[in-house]
Amino acid sequence: MSTFGAAAANHNPNKSFEVAQPPSDSVSSLSFSPKANFLIATSWDNQVRCWEISRNGTAVASTPKASITHDQPVLCSTWKDDGMTVFSGGCDKQVKMWPLLSGGQPMTVAMHDAPIKEVAWIPEMNLLATGSWDKTLKYWDTRQSNPVHTQQLPDRCYALTVKYPLMVVGTADRNLIIFNLQNPQNEYKRVTSPLKYQTRCVAAFPDQQGFLVGSIEGRVGVHHLDDGQQGKNFTFKCHRDGSEIYSVNSLNFHPIHHTFATAGSDGAFNFWDKDSKQRLKIPIS
Amino acid sequence: MGKKKKRVPSKVWCYYCDREFDDEKILVQHQKAKHFKCHVCHKKLSTAGGMAIHVLQVHKESVTKVPNAKTGRESTDIEIYGMQGIPPDVLAAHYGEEEEAPSKAAKLDIPSTQLVGGLMPGPLGVGYPPQSTLGAVQPMYNAAVPVPPVGWAVPPRPQPWLPLHPAASVPLSAPMGYVQQPLFPVQGVRPPLAVPSTSPSLQPSQIAPPGLPVSAPTLPVSQPLFPVVNNSVPTQSSPFSASLPTSVPEGKGSIEAHSSGSASLTGGAGGNSHSYASGPNTGGPSIGPPPVIANKAPAIQPAVNEVYLVWDDEAMSMEERRMSLAKYQMHDENSQMSSIDAAIDRRILESRLAGRMAF
Repeated sequence: MSTFGAAAANHNPNKSFEVAQPPSDSVSSLSFSPKANFLIATSWDNQVRCWEISRNGTAVASTPKASITHDQPVLCSTWKDDGMTVFSGGCDKQVKMWPLLSGGQPMTVAMHDAPIKEVAWIPEMNLLATGSWDKTLKYWDTRQSNPVHTQQLPDRCYALTVKYPLMVVGTADRNLIIFNLQNPQNEYKRVTSPLKYQTRCVAAFPDQQGFLVGSIEGRVGVHHLDDGQQGKNFTFKCHRDGSEIYSVNSLNFHPIHHTFATAGSDGAFNFWDKDSKQRLKIPIS
Repeated sequence: MGKKKKRVPSKVWCYYCDREFDDEKILVQHQKAKHFKCHVCHKKLSTAGGMAIHVLQVHKESVTKVPNAKTGRESTDIEIYGMQGIPPDVLAAHYGEEEEAPSKAAKLDIPSTQLVGGLMPGPLGVGYPPQSTLGAVQPMYNAAVPVPPVGWAVPPRPQPWLPLHPAASVPLSAPMGYVQQPLFPVQGVRPPLAVPSTSPSLQPSQIAPPGLPVSAPTLPVSQPLFPVVNNSVPTQSSPFSASLPTSVPEGKGSIEAHSSGSASLTGGAGGNSHSYASGPNTGGPSIGPPPVIANKAPAIQPAVNEVYLVWDDEAMSMEERRMSLAKYQMHDENSQMSSIDAAIDRRILESRLAGRMAF
């Protein structure tokens, strides 16, 4: 509690390594390459930047590699599974495909009628999925200029997560639409968020048995898809400080341990284990 | 003595955050881990005050709020350990919602015992540990009370039961649950019995006292007295707690307060909780806090928790609102974009009108 003010004064309390030449405005998304130590960051300053992250003894070094510019703030990014190409989309209503490792130029591959909030690459289908505030979800084959399929959503897309064949889309009005990507044209299920406030982020379980949903009210819900497992659903509060309740901005699972991290507007990140329902303590080195 | 018929309160609960637990040991562990833990070195202390002092002395930092506490329960001054130290009004409020039935049943028994409690243990009270304002405990005690009456050793307290100090009753209550504390001889209550003449005045229900006068020396009985007393009073706990502190010093003065009966009860109730909670080691901790608690009892808990969402706009997400800021508007040559912006502006206006952006 008393650290709130302190945190504002010290912008690096954990003495983390800061990348060289950071963005000049807020960072909207981060993405590591699946094949190498390349980090992509998109920002409200309209840029998509790439750094190479390497070890320098006990320290971590970052080398700016390249960047591209959009016309307007960029909101989302993802790597292609081959680690050669980056997709980025944002308020300019386009998604640019950038084959940066082969030195190519970015190319527009997707368009919507409103800013594109989320983008996901689905290697099993070789398609790019994009969710936008125009209440549609579109699937794109990057070689064609028209979407392969357009899926209507009940409201603006706010969050998206894919763990083939599970895909969960969080929209405004607390809708959560679950798709089975083997049959992407039909909604598998539509549920109302277990949280009583606006959905901010979603993350699918690595074993595809369910998903996490985070809201603006400092709460995360754990939801299982199978009806028989509904008893294991629960929600927990987090990122609250005294009488202030912060939004949970991002959820991410560890690919191996199946624990997950939450990041909140209170400037903190936590690690949790949903099976033991505990918050994990970060060992102090 | 016979088996104590104490009824376990439905659940013990944490004063700071209102969570419930199956038994007090778990509650104490919870409090140590969540509320009494130093945020700098993670050392677990035994009370909130202790934690504040540790942080001040060791880390040279001042802590004013109990971590993870609800608003209104964050004071580090109020001494809570497990279920001990909870102000009677808070206690009553918490249990009032839960078990209406049991407490009502208990109340029936109490009227008779009230007298007993009233009697003040004055001197006895001294030995008595601080009564915890466990209103909840009351129901339990009722049962207990009837049993001991037999043995009630009316304490030699000469004072006719008038002097019932509320304070006296308070101390008694603490031990009640388990502690046999002969110290208190709750007997304070008893003395009234001894004075049959006075007792009629006393008794609102004194049925119990009449039986008591018989046995003077067995103090242990006193404990049950409190519980009973408390039970009847539960509703009145708050007024009493306020009066108790004052009456204690006087002893006699409190009698008037006692006659109302409730005062002593609250003390007892509190005490009961203490005893219940900390049966094995009631002596130590219970004695310390009660006086403090009694003083704080009158404190009013804020009814409303003042929490607020830092981002509270349900109509649009943070990014949508941000997009409408002037700084990002320079790119909107496209009609499409401006129509989106117009829509966003409209939403902002609507929600402002709806008073949603109060913060």
